[in-house]
This record gives sequence, structure tokens and C-alpha cells, in this order.
Amino acid sequence: MNILKLLANLAETNPEQLEQSAPRRAALESLGRFSAKALAAALPFGLATLPAQARTTLTILDSLDLALQLERLQEALYTRALAVTGAFFPADPTFRASILAMQRHQQQHIVLLTDAIAASGSTASAPANYDFTGTKNGTQPALFADVFTDFDQFLRLAQLLEDAGVRAYKGQVEFLSTNDFILQTALQLHATEARHAARIRMMRKQRGATVKPWPSPTDTSITVVGKTDIAYAGEDALQQYLPDFRPVPFQLLPIGFPGSTVLTQGVPEAFDEPLTSAQATALLALFTY
Amino acid sequence: MHDNSFLARTIHRRSFFRVAGAGAAASALMLAGCAKEEDNNPTPINQQLVIGKADSVNFTVLNYAYLLEQLEAAFYDKVVTTPPADLLPGELAYLTDLRDHELIHREYLKVALGSNAYDASFVTQFAFDFSSLTLTTRQGVWTAAQRLEDIGVAAYNGVAKHITTTGYLKMLAKLASVEARHAALAHEVLQAGSWAATIGTTGLDAAKTPLEVVALIQPFVPIEISTAYLPTT
Repeated sequence: MNILKLLANLAETNPEQLEQSAPRRAALESLGRFSAKALAAALPFGLATLPAQARTTLTILDSLDLALQLERLQEALYTRALAVTGAFFPADPTFRASILAMQRHQQQHIVLLTDAIAASGSTASAPANYDFTGTKNGTQPALFADVFTDFDQFLRLAQLLEDAGVRAYKGQVEFLSTNDFILQTALQLHATEARHAARIRMMRKQRGATVKPWPSPTDTSITVVGKTDIAYAGEDALQQYLPDFRPVPFQLLPIGFPGSTVLTQGVPEAFDEPLTSAQATALLALFTY
Repeated sequence: MHDNSFLARTIHRRSFFRVAGAGAAASALMLAGCAKEEDNNPTPINQQLVIGKADSVNFTVLNYAYLLEQLEAAFYDKVVTTPPADLLPGELAYLTDLRDHELIHREYLKVALGSNAYDASFVTQFAFDFSSLTLTTRQGVWTAAQRLEDIGVAAYNGVAKHITTTGYLKMLAKLASVEARHAALAHEVLQAGSWAATIGTTGLDAAKTPLEVVALIQPFVPIEISTAYLPTT
């Protein structure tokens, strides 16, 4: 999180500078036509009014930066996997093709988010150094020692990060709600991440893992307590609450036959839960140094 | 039965005059019949399905999501009740999970809406019309599932920005990604590697406006859906 940096930038920036359009125009040129047009249309409302709505706007930028860091992490994972020489990917060509498509999507997301941050007059945080074994560059025991030699281990990490990515976007949507364009874009990114996560899970299932396309209490756990379990913390919630804090009385609703597993399995499966910024940041920290 | 209340409710008279008690499958024909009879009776009636609320964009969006979840739940319920004979091993379990998830989504939104549910005062619920789909083969079932799930994802992606209460926004976001996971599954079972079919050149999954979505789901709804209160962007 770079709240402090953003605050410092904000303090140094005068409103006139924020309205300068040259950097924005330059940034937007690298986007596709749709995105550029839509971003240009959306930004003046959400971001040019920065001084008056500093708190809200800062939160939008902070959310975008967190998303950018997660996308970079995923992109780096796939780029390194795709660069492995020798027999790392299975013979089924759709496996490598899927990882290639995910890498491409993450690269597109990075461009989108970087441009959105730049177009708002802010600066994206610098890319981190990644260590996907989780040793923090050899300073602690590995979590995924064979991530680029054991394809199943690679898939477990990919699943962890994609599921966490879905959850992290979900945790940010409330902070984006003041800007319709950015909120919708984040939801579209969120749906892409969910399709990634489902595909990774199906690849694992094809290779014999007990896993469904969505997080389920029947999945075999892939986490390490006190380390990677944060990615799924609270994901198995049996209860949902309405905005007025009333619990949804699932046991009284016509959703299943008495004695069925719908309450204990269907309900947790039917809802993806959000991750907070702090949880997402803690997860990022496991693989960066 | 898990879906008793869904089938037992009848449609609101104002929305669908004289269909109460009629067999579900006949509803479209009954509607045509009604229209002719109305020639002899000039009393104006509203034969549209009004799923929004004039005074609340939040309840309009939730009702819209509720209708979509009802549609998906009814679809999977029909499939699971009469599955095609050529399903592959594991596919009925997937379809049953999908049915359960959509039932849960439907009832969750219904609880959230309470008396604001568009069908809260219906005497008998209308039945969705799946006659345009081929549900006797796995190819047909999964093709239909793909279509419905992709519509659902694009609908959530396109409409959630209109929510003005973050509590409701968070509710919808919890469902939206599960729908995207369903959609990826529905694509994959028919063709390995096809999960990304709806993701565009900027890495964004599709978004559709409510009016675009209504046009896509109208074939399954035997009453004209009113778009009067739905957001147009």
C-alpha cells in the first residue's frame, strides 16, 4: 500500500497540475480505442475534482495500485512458467495455451491499471522483486520450492493467487463506487480473474486433484497455516448478512431437501468472499522482497 | 421440494391478467388469448412484467438480479430433474451444484428484497419458457448453460455501478464472480481451453446494459419485460 506516498504526492500537487491533459493524453494513447475513450470520459468526473474529494479519490487510486500489484505478481508467475525450458507443461496443449492467455490478460490489465493511475495524475508504485518459492530471496523456508519444476505445485500457487485476486477485487469495489466507469472496469477485471481461477481449478481437477471450479468445503486444502491460508480465510462462510446486518436464514429457505448438504456445502460455494486490502497486501508480501 | 414456493406462486393479476391457475407451459398462448378477449373489454391492463421500482434504483437492480437468478435456477432445476441421457461422468454433479448455487442466489436476493420483490404479490409464479433450447442432449444443455451464465456475468458487470448502497454492491459482487466461474465451467465442458471466449482484447470480461440483457432473456420469459425503470446505460 502506498497511502503515505500518495498523500505526499497529493500535498505537493496543485489543482492546476492535475488538470493538465498532456500526460493523460499520452497515457491513453497506448490503450485500446474503447478503453481510451471511456477512460477519458470517466476521469474528469472522478479524478479532476481531486482537491475537493481527496479522501475518496485517494482511495480509488490506492485500490487501483493494489490491483496493479496483484496483476503484476500473477503476470510474473506466468511469464516465468512460460519461460521454463524442457518438459514443464503437460502434453495437453490447452494447458499451456490457457496459461498464455492468462499471461496476456494480466499484461492487458497492467496496461489498463497503469494508464488509469497515470491518467489521474498519480504514479503507480514501482514493481516489486518476486520470489515465487516464498523464501523471500533465500531468507526463509520455501512455501513452493518446486514451483517451476513441478507443474502441479505451479498450479496450486496459480490457483491461490487467482482466487485471491478475485477476492481482492471484490474487497475493493466499495471504494470504487464513486466512479461508475472505474467500478464497472474493476468488475470486468474481477470476472476475468474468476474465469482464470475456475480454469486453473479445472486443470488441477484434470490432473487428479479434489477441487471444483469454485472454492468448496470439499476441496483438498492447498494452504499452509499461518502463511498462505490467508488466501482462503473466511471463504467457507456458512452465513451471509444483509446490509442491515440481518443474517440470511438459509435453513428456512426453499433451497434444499432436509438433510442435504446444501446448507454446509452449497452455501459456502455460492458466494465468493472479499479480501481486505490488508489481507491482500499480506499475501503479496509472501512472494515479494 | 426445494422449489415449491417458486412454482406455487401465481403471477400478479395486474401484470398478467387471467393466467392465474393456468398450466405453466400454456402461458404464452394464454397471453395471446387474453389479448384477443381484451378487444371485447376495453379496460386497459398492463401485460408487462414490471421488475423495477420507480422510486428505488437499488431495488430495481436487485429485482433485475433476482429475475436472472430465478431464470438460472429454473433452468438447472429442469435439467437436473430430467437430465439428458448422454451426460458424461461428473456432469450431473456439476449441474446439481449449479442448480443449488442458483437456488441459493435466488432465495438470498428474495430475502434481501422482501416485500420489494417484483413478484411478492403474485398469486402464481409464471413459468420460464425453455422450449427454444435443446435440453435432451449434453451438448444442448451445456450450450444453454454457457449462454445463460455468460448473460448473467455480463449483466452483473454492467449493472452493479447503478447501486447506490455499498452493502448491496458487495452482495452482488459476491454472486458475480461465482457466475463467472460457472460460465468458465460451462465453456470448458464442451471445449477444453474455451473458458476465455467472452474476454475482450483489453482483458476485460463482457458487460451488458439491462436493456441488452432483457432482449437476450425475453425468449425465456412468457410475458413482455418492462424496461421502464431499468437503467439504460
